[in-house]
Amino acid sequence: MSVPQDLFYSKTHEWVSLDDDVATVGITDFAQSQLSDLTFVELPEVGTEFKAGDEAAVVESVKAAADVYAPVAGEVVEINSDLEDSPELINKDAFGAGWLFKIKVANESDVDDMLDADSYEELCPND
Amino acid sequence: MMNAWTVSFNNPVPYLQGLDLQHRLLQARQNNRIPDTVLVLEHRPVVTLGNRGRDNYLLKTREEYAAMGIELFHAERGGDVTFHGPGQWVLYPILYLGGNEADSHGYLHNLEEVAIRTLGDYGVEGFRREGKSGAWTTAGKVAAIGFRLKKWVSFHGMSFNVSNELAGFDTIVPCGLTGEPVVSLKTILAHACPAMPEVRESLLNHFSAVCNRELERFDADGKLPAPLEDLIRRA
Repeated sequence: MSVPQDLFYSKTHEWVSLDDDVATVGITDFAQSQLSDLTFVELPEVGTEFKAGDEAAVVESVKAAADVYAPVAGEVVEINSDLEDSPELINKDAFGAGWLFKIKVANESDVDDMLDADSYEELCPND
Repeated sequence: MMNAWTVSFNNPVPYLQGLDLQHRLLQARQNNRIPDTVLVLEHRPVVTLGNRGRDNYLLKTREEYAAMGIELFHAERGGDVTFHGPGQWVLYPILYLGGNEADSHGYLHNLEEVAIRTLGDYGVEGFRREGKSGAWTTAGKVAAIGFRLKKWVSFHGMSFNVSNELAGFDTIVPCGLTGEPVVSLKTILAHACPAMPEVRESLLNHFSAVCNRELERFDADGKLPAPLEDLIRRA
């Protein structure tokens, strides 16, 4: 299982990459592997304001639906609309083409509260 | 094995009451106020649509469902449309699947395994079908699965047809699959069909083994552990 070193992680298996004050958010490779083949993604609308921990998106496989949480507070400035037709991008490339949405971060210290790659990896079962 | 609780209900539960209860347990589990807990119950007749459930899988109008005494709800689970009613066991496992204790081999697979082993207890061969979740027999589908994870705690779950009226399934396209019959243990075994409590024990025993949880069993009408007393009696 891959856990890139340069990202931040939440306990609920989201990842964040920070570019100035814009955070790109996705679910981790572990999360996608637990859900298996995703068939549908419900994304937030651009302009939605989230608090850290708010329910922001839903990813769905054949029989399971899972909530995705906003790891940081702020306003949604972009969504990955490719996922509407190709949710499998998340399975293929969770840390890249499978990103979900971008948030203009209200509070950069929110990111400091997230886990680094090593701490996140300790959370995941080894199999 | 991890410790978990299971609570059995003796009378059919209205759908919304069951949903409300699941939401309370979900929150309690997320906050570690209760261990993993499995609800086992029958519902009053109800048709539920999954997250993306499409209305064109409903073959009756709202008025017709009402006249048949069948409630109709959108459920926030995965999966498509299904029917619940007395004579069908519904398992709602509220399990934390996110951390070190994760069932990394797949919760869906585990629920299917529970249904298949339960069928085996009564001499019925159950199997999986590629791309079609649930537990199947040569006669048709016996168990349907659909669940949701919030903060990696599961809710919703699995239904297993024992002796229920199957007419409710004729009012929908079950799971959106056309031409796939839904059957019960009674369809297959007729007079030899086991009683509901016996099948509940099979389901719970196999759930315990497959999901690796030691189940402490409670009756919804009997003495409950304090946190559950509070969560369940409020229903």
